[in-house]
Amino acid sequence: MSAIPATYASTNLRRTILRMAYSGSTVHIACAFSLVEILAVLYRQHLCLGTGPKDPERDYLILSKGHGVMAQYACLHELGWLNEKHIQGYCTDGTPLKGLSDADVPGLEVNSGSLGHGLSVGVGLAYGALRRGTTQKVYAILGDGECNEGSIWEALLFAAHFKLTNLLVIVDANGFQAMGPTTEVMDTGSLEDKFRAFGFEACTIDGHDENVLNETIGRLMASSFPGPRAIIARTSKGKGVSFMEGRNLWHYSRLTEKNYQDALAELEMVEAGRGGVRL
Amino acid sequence: MRNAFSNALVTAAEANDRILLLTGDHGYALFDDFRHRCPGQYINAGIAEQNMIGVAAGLAKSGFHPVVYALSAFVPIRVLEQIKLDICCEELPVLFIGDGAGVVYSTLGVSHQSTEDIAALRAVPQVRILSPGDAHEMKAAMELAFATPAPIYLRMGKSDLGVVHTSPPQLAWGRLLSVRSGSGPLVFIATGSMLNLAVTLAQEWPGSAVWSAPSLKPLEIESVVSACSPHRVVVTLEEHNIIGGLGGAVAEILSQEHPLPVCRIGVPDQYSELCGSYAYLMREHGLDLDSVRVKVQAFTKKHPIT
Repeated sequence: MSAIPATYASTNLRRTILRMAYSGSTVHIACAFSLVEILAVLYRQHLCLGTGPKDPERDYLILSKGHGVMAQYACLHELGWLNEKHIQGYCTDGTPLKGLSDADVPGLEVNSGSLGHGLSVGVGLAYGALRRGTTQKVYAILGDGECNEGSIWEALLFAAHFKLTNLLVIVDANGFQAMGPTTEVMDTGSLEDKFRAFGFEACTIDGHDENVLNETIGRLMASSFPGPRAIIARTSKGKGVSFMEGRNLWHYSRLTEKNYQDALAELEMVEAGRGGVRL
Repeated sequence: MRNAFSNALVTAAEANDRILLLTGDHGYALFDDFRHRCPGQYINAGIAEQNMIGVAAGLAKSGFHPVVYALSAFVPIRVLEQIKLDICCEELPVLFIGDGAGVVYSTLGVSHQSTEDIAALRAVPQVRILSPGDAHEMKAAMELAFATPAPIYLRMGKSDLGVVHTSPPQLAWGRLLSVRSGSGPLVFIATGSMLNLAVTLAQEWPGSAVWSAPSLKPLEIESVVSACSPHRVVVTLEEHNIIGGLGGAVAEILSQEHPLPVCRIGVPDQYSELCGSYAYLMREHGLDLDSVRVKVQAFTKKHPIT
């Protein structure tokens, strides 16, 4: 286990993501940054992980948008399920952490990267938990771009039909997909309206406000609504580093020494301003 | 054969409430008995096959043993990626039943026909493939499947062609099953619906051996070599594309281990063009008794057996 208690401070998580991306010379930084606060709140305040990644009674966190996996690695690092060697050796020869979610990694529940898979697996886990009469919850994180996939809507139908009250879908709605803004590539319109129409209790919130995230997740999971729940979390792709924010280029770009240092410096400033916690 | 399937499924599910049947809104009369006797273990996942496979993965991960039923045109073909990523990558215990394999749905056209399912799945690591040749093999195949916690595809083709065995045989993964022994120059290896025809045809070449291939993957090298090595020409028969199925698997093994001419009888690399009865389409694809006889005769002229 980690010697330092996990705080899931967002600047710490983003710093870990930057370290991984720089040492591994990898892409998908911006889509990891957009879901940092969502993951931080889930890990810090909601997930019951029991005795470890294989505990059959654990809550399930499904990262269906597997491209943001570095944000989850950063959380698992704080949790102590991944170590410093994992972070520093990210994406180097013969190492286990891949650039997309892989169920072989302790703490990752699904193989993702091909989009539209994770939610169905999560729906199966939620159905299984209800069937076994456990209190387990399933939190499934989707991308708004991922909602182009037809299998997502198949899964939503199933979740509503079978009244999966233990399922919370969180859409990391950063407004971008691979080739541009979602409104230009494949406009999904109001996701909240669509989730409601499919039989979900749904709301739209600021996906970077940890207090609002925490309160909303708690409220939805405690509600007596007889079906699944969803949060459309409005986020900013690349959140936390000014030259990445809202720039889809950082779905693909790799860090140079200079912009790595610039990004770290920005996080330092944010931290100094807010009195955050250093790793 | 369908009764054997239904009986085996109900027997297994009654003994183990972790067995759940998921159907993609198919199997109208087939599951009457199951729904009556195991009502809590029946899940109609709707006309949404991609999600159904993911749900099966989630259920398997939480301790259940899902049986996923669909037409083989949809499972595995429509959902190959879900089978690969959600099930096989994690070696989850899910039994897929692909019904109507081959050209069973002869009048419905290509959308409901499946002649590429074996080839597609053979290249997916971890999945096992069963293809029983009669009702007795079906019963044995179901028992073997439920005793094996792994991803398994059970291919169910034309089911009313009669039995070959007199009782359920002992099946083992990877092993060919002897149906008729013989030391003549020809050996016939058939799978699924073509087993019956193989037994009939083999009588025209006295001394021929006939083997059934209920386990298409794994398929053991030793089993194929020991079945074929006493003979001079091998004939494989399947209601599947000649590319990538039983014939391909046998030829791959023999070409490396014990080179012999292999006459691959199967659906040519084509779709069904016209509508018609099952017998009509089997003729169209050269899989009726007369057409197969002509092919084997031509092959033995090219590769003399005397």
